[in-house]
Amino acid sequence: MAQNVNPFLELQTDAAKQSNDSKKGSNDNHAVTKRLHNELMTLMMNQDKGISAFPEGENFFKWIGTIIGPKDSAYESLKFKLSLDFPHSYPYTAPQVKFITPCFHPNVDNGGNICLDILKDKWSALYDVRTILLSIQILLGEPNIDSPLNALAASKWQKQEEYKKYVIDAYKEA
Amino acid sequence: MTASDQLGLTKTWELSLYELHRTPQDPVTDHTEIAVSPRSLHNELMCPICLDMLRKTMTTKECLHRFCSDCIVTALRSGNKECPTCRKKLVSKRSLRPDPNFDLLISKIYPSRDEYEAHQERVLAKLNKSHSREALMNSIKEGIKVQSQSRPNRGRKVNDASVAVETEDVGGGVGGVGGGGGGGGENLAPSSNASVQPATINNNGNNSLSQQQQSQVASGATLSPSASGRSTPSQPPSPVSSSVSSISKSMGKRPKSVLTSERSEESENSSERTEQTDTEGEGPSEPLTLNEIELVFKPHPTEMSGENPLVKALKENSIRYIKTTGNATVDHLHKYLAMRLTLDLDSQLSTTHNLLNFCIYISPNSGQYVQLNGNQTLGQVNDKYWKVNKPLEMFYSWKKT
Repeated sequence: MAQNVNPFLELQTDAAKQSNDSKKGSNDNHAVTKRLHNELMTLMMNQDKGISAFPEGENFFKWIGTIIGPKDSAYESLKFKLSLDFPHSYPYTAPQVKFITPCFHPNVDNGGNICLDILKDKWSALYDVRTILLSIQILLGEPNIDSPLNALAASKWQKQEEYKKYVIDAYKEA
Repeated sequence: MTASDQLGLTKTWELSLYELHRTPQDPVTDHTEIAVSPRSLHNELMCPICLDMLRKTMTTKECLHRFCSDCIVTALRSGNKECPTCRKKLVSKRSLRPDPNFDLLISKIYPSRDEYEAHQERVLAKLNKSHSREALMNSIKEGIKVQSQSRPNRGRKVNDASVAVETEDVGGGVGGVGGGGGGGGENLAPSSNASVQPATINNNGNNSLSQQQQSQVASGATLSPSASGRSTPSQPPSPVSSSVSSISKSMGKRPKSVLTSERSEESENSSERTEQTDTEGEGPSEPLTLNEIELVFKPHPTEMSGENPLVKALKENSIRYIKTTGNATVDHLHKYLAMRLTLDLDSQLSTTHNLLNFCIYISPNSGQYVQLNGNQTLGQVNDKYWKVNKPLEMFYSWKKT
């Protein structure tokens, strides 16, 4: 093998050495893709209740996730779509997760941005798509009223019947 | 599991398979070897950051969590200074220590890891190139199908302590999954060095690592010819067991009809498979064309009748079901037979019989047997004599020297 090398290939590696930086970048991307592949596999295998996710189109760094509202909450059996944008530094930095489906919730703003500590400063490389979606699913039923993005939603939370009306009004199935 | 049942707890704790099944073990004092399925080890050997097998293991000094060196260093540099697993404070790299013993352990369990990873890279590269959503979907479906077929035996306890052959190479692990669906036939690689490998191979269809499943899924193909776990009998200890020997123990008993029906679904993937098998020997791998031949190999009805001591000794093993590429020649079959039958025979018998002189025949018409010469490939034989779209039937006879 050592002797029997295609000279054309050797030329290519020389060229690759010269552009070492760009090569490193693609290697990193490769590791990210690999991890995302792994995650996709486990997601498909486990079939968690009420959550799912799949890459959107050709781009492996953009996924669409769905969450079914938790039982016994105002969101029960509503289906929410979310977008997940993975940075090239994933999993060392969190993906950007947003609601696509409008969601009336104390910790979700009008643009669908989510206020959740594990997506910000409490991120750990051990979180993955599955745990993110499960966390958001739990967040739906157990909002953090003290630091609301949506003050109206936070103020209505105590009156669940009225709250639910707001949720249904805002909800538009994607 | 049983403990929680007794306590009436319905909550399922996030326990690994290993934790669920662990029972107190007596210390091993003799030379007994105990088999552990790679699947149960997966969580222990995996880096939770890259979800791959640990590479240059680093262990946190206080909380004893393990990561790849690269992964944890990057994580500490880019994130909070805490253990990614448990959030214990990690001040700097000095809160970690290298764990060479663990690396050694992994390289013992997966000696051909580099080869496996190189293969995985290729699969991934290929997938990325032609990575349409549909292809991805299909490959995943395929993987899940195969996975579910092998699932029923997961709960089964590992064979008793006498089983010694569980360390399968990582590449073989790919087939571990596929073994469930792909069980059937022996794969006989055309290159003579590959036809009988001295590697031990796993006879459970159920153990493999999920990252291997990923690769399995990605390629939609199986590499190892390991037999289906469903029908696999517990295997006697065989330190020199070859890949061929371990599988054929179960294959020989398999009814032919089952065999062919199972294999038809498998052959969808066979172009991938040939490519994989090919990568081992000859360096630069050029994908082979889809060119597989199924073959039923029987003793010559007149020259090797039931009275023949060899046939008697082999019993049902005298009929062999083989799947190989059309490029294999009759000579390859010779070598295979010599090797294969020697392994099947009682060690006593095989010393008195020198199994080298085989003649190989094909029967184009009933009652007529044409002897085949060595350099013909099976593809040629098939085209010349067989033509029908069913497994090629061949006959062998053995002449005493």
